[in-house]
Amino acid sequence: MNGNIRTLLRLEIKNRFSNYSVSDYKSYFRLFGTLVLLAAVIYAIYWAAGLFFDMFDTGGLLYEALVLLVSVIFLFMLFAGITSTIKVLYYKGDNEILMRYPVSGTEVFISKTLFLFLTQFFATAIIMAPFLVAYAEVSGLGAAFYAKIPIPILFLVFITFFLSNILAIPIMHLTNKIRNKFALIIIGLAVLVTAAFAVYMLLFNSMVTFMNDREFSVFSDSMVEIIENVAKWLIPMKYFADVMVGHELYIAYPVLIGLTGITLIGTIMVIYFLYAKTLLNNVEVEGSAFKHVTGNRRRPVFVTLMHKEFLQVFRSVNYSFQYFVLACAMPVMVFFCNNITRELGQNQVGEQISLGMSMLVMLIFATVITSFSATSTSREGDNFYHTKVAPVSIRTQLFAKFVMYLIVSVIANAICVGVLIGSEQVAVSNGLWLFAVVEMCSVGLTLVSMRMDIARPYFNLSGEGEVVNNNASTTFSVALGFAVALTVGILCMFLSYIGSLETPIALAFGTFTLTFDMRFMYILVTALAGAFFVVSVLIYTIGLKKAYNKIAK
Amino acid sequence: MLEISHLYKKYLNSERFSVEDLSLKLNPGEIFGFLGQNGAGKSTTIKCLTGIYPFNSGKITICGYDIARDPINAKLNMGYVPDNHSVYEKLTGREYVNYTADLYKVSKRDRNERFDKYVSQFKLTKAVDTQIKSYSHGMKQKICIIAALIHNPKLWVLDEPMMGLDHQSMAEILKRMDDHCADGNTVFFSSHNLDLVAKICDRAAIIKDGKLQDVIDLHVKGNKETLEKRFVEITATEQDRINDQTLLRRGQ
Repeated sequence: MNGNIRTLLRLEIKNRFSNYSVSDYKSYFRLFGTLVLLAAVIYAIYWAAGLFFDMFDTGGLLYEALVLLVSVIFLFMLFAGITSTIKVLYYKGDNEILMRYPVSGTEVFISKTLFLFLTQFFATAIIMAPFLVAYAEVSGLGAAFYAKIPIPILFLVFITFFLSNILAIPIMHLTNKIRNKFALIIIGLAVLVTAAFAVYMLLFNSMVTFMNDREFSVFSDSMVEIIENVAKWLIPMKYFADVMVGHELYIAYPVLIGLTGITLIGTIMVIYFLYAKTLLNNVEVEGSAFKHVTGNRRRPVFVTLMHKEFLQVFRSVNYSFQYFVLACAMPVMVFFCNNITRELGQNQVGEQISLGMSMLVMLIFATVITSFSATSTSREGDNFYHTKVAPVSIRTQLFAKFVMYLIVSVIANAICVGVLIGSEQVAVSNGLWLFAVVEMCSVGLTLVSMRMDIARPYFNLSGEGEVVNNNASTTFSVALGFAVALTVGILCMFLSYIGSLETPIALAFGTFTLTFDMRFMYILVTALAGAFFVVSVLIYTIGLKKAYNKIAK
Repeated sequence: MLEISHLYKKYLNSERFSVEDLSLKLNPGEIFGFLGQNGAGKSTTIKCLTGIYPFNSGKITICGYDIARDPINAKLNMGYVPDNHSVYEKLTGREYVNYTADLYKVSKRDRNERFDKYVSQFKLTKAVDTQIKSYSHGMKQKICIIAALIHNPKLWVLDEPMMGLDHQSMAEILKRMDDHCADGNTVFFSSHNLDLVAKICDRAAIIKDGKLQDVIDLHVKGNKETLEKRFVEITATEQDRINDQTLLRRGQ
């Protein structure tokens, strides 16, 4: 390999894995931690894959399971490949820096392409390995199967790699076209997240059911038929599976070889005719700013503050995903999770704890949404001075932010409760009570998160003016939210269980008798949530102005 | 218009005062230049008077309103242009200016009139409905200026306003400063450009190590011509003098 190419490739690898240098004991420790975590994840995937194949095997669908799995991995690797290709090959800033060195454009291109190919190869091998080991064990194919594995993996790497190169430019153009259609992006992402979560939960549910009784198939006859038909039409993905299991090889090999050849020719043509042109036209950043023709419009101060805050989140795909998309997907997530946890709970302890389970699930998702408020001040970044020079009190400015979070939280929690009531997972009266308690906790968490960020803002923003990493306040906010969810949720479960005993426990204090019935549960849980709310308001309010004025940006 | 008396400002974890016993009084209708080397305390003073930084002691009043006790009224009378041209880049130019106008409660008629005037004066008509993130450095500076002037402030404060601007843009801003003062308002700006200050300002102050060294009336005969000399006398170190000698030699 040419010396320049080798140096550039090493630079690319160093740049990508800069977090994992091995210069001191801390970096060794970090690398070791990452490897241990990676090993744990691989083992967990292997374990889950074993269960997955076992479940399909019991239903007589082992081959179909392999086809489904290979299809998912194929699509995932294609998506990852396109993303990396755009980032590595077409990112203008990076290319500009490299071109300042005494190297040719061809050398830069070859080194980057090599890097892309190596990452695609290792990622595919690492992702496929635990699944294929699990498949070999369940199917009993053993050594013969392992011997055949490298061939389809190589096909998978080459085809996804070439396809990524062909699709990168059209995808960039498509992204530019929809980049500023923010509502469309939010709706699309919400649908995607919800669908992915629904599929995941359905699969999870089936696996839990299967674990309880491994003798019986979880698939109905009609379901078996659907899966068989779908697997038949998953072209070209099914041919990878065919090569692995030695099924219809006379079709599988020609198809895969042909596909590799066609995609290779496509890639060469794209590089020859479009690569340089795309780089010169700066397609990667084209269309990042939009035009929005309006008249001058006067709004009341509070409304204009909220409007600005909303636009700052709405016009950022990152922020919208972290906040609006998750808020939109929350009701579906709560519905599925609640369904499963209630089933699990009922099997283990009894129906009495289901309300507490619902509370726990809702609070956990509410925590994820409210943690966004932990960057409310940090997100101002270089524009922080605006909040200081504006002739509007700090309290009003922060209150506008809070009201926006409140509106999102009220809508998300109300829809969640509506879904739970509509699907008869909770009664109407319990639903309303659930809403009140979860909302009190959400408001409390929002206030504490905002206050933490004011005490220690982290103005580390990217080129787009967005928070790059979550700050310590976000971590604290999530930890606090989980703690509140567990405390309130478990208390609710415990007291509901005690309260629904045939003979309620009663403690006598002189003339006063305390009975641990359901009424006691409602009062105590409400009081706990109320106390958290009051404490949060106090934490937020006390010393707010002083803390805000101390921020020097 | 602006009165600073005995201002002291020390940063957290700092052993010395960044601004020490600074007193200034600006009159209506004047352009006031604030001069000093890097780190002299110009930006810190400006950030204290705009309400961005709290200060240890002293008093700052804008149009009679104490910035510490009555910040809302003080800020309502002031427009500020920062040195880093930071603006909400996800908004369009028009949205940003309207946001500022709303905060300063500018009437619909006034904002329409001023907006059209400034946008055409600064040649931003084509870009005003585009997201600010696509603006150049100079365009961002101009939209900051429009936002700062949309409420026609009595005191207009600018921190290093000419940094990185082309000749044309500088001329547009200077014209705007001149017009603003002609209406009886005051302009207070920091700069490193001595020629510019000598050309446009009525008075100039020189600050060194946080302490005000001199306030020079530039209408007094000879002061414009000797401003640079006076500045060097006050601020230059021995090394600066050696550097100047070198530059002179190379010039010959």
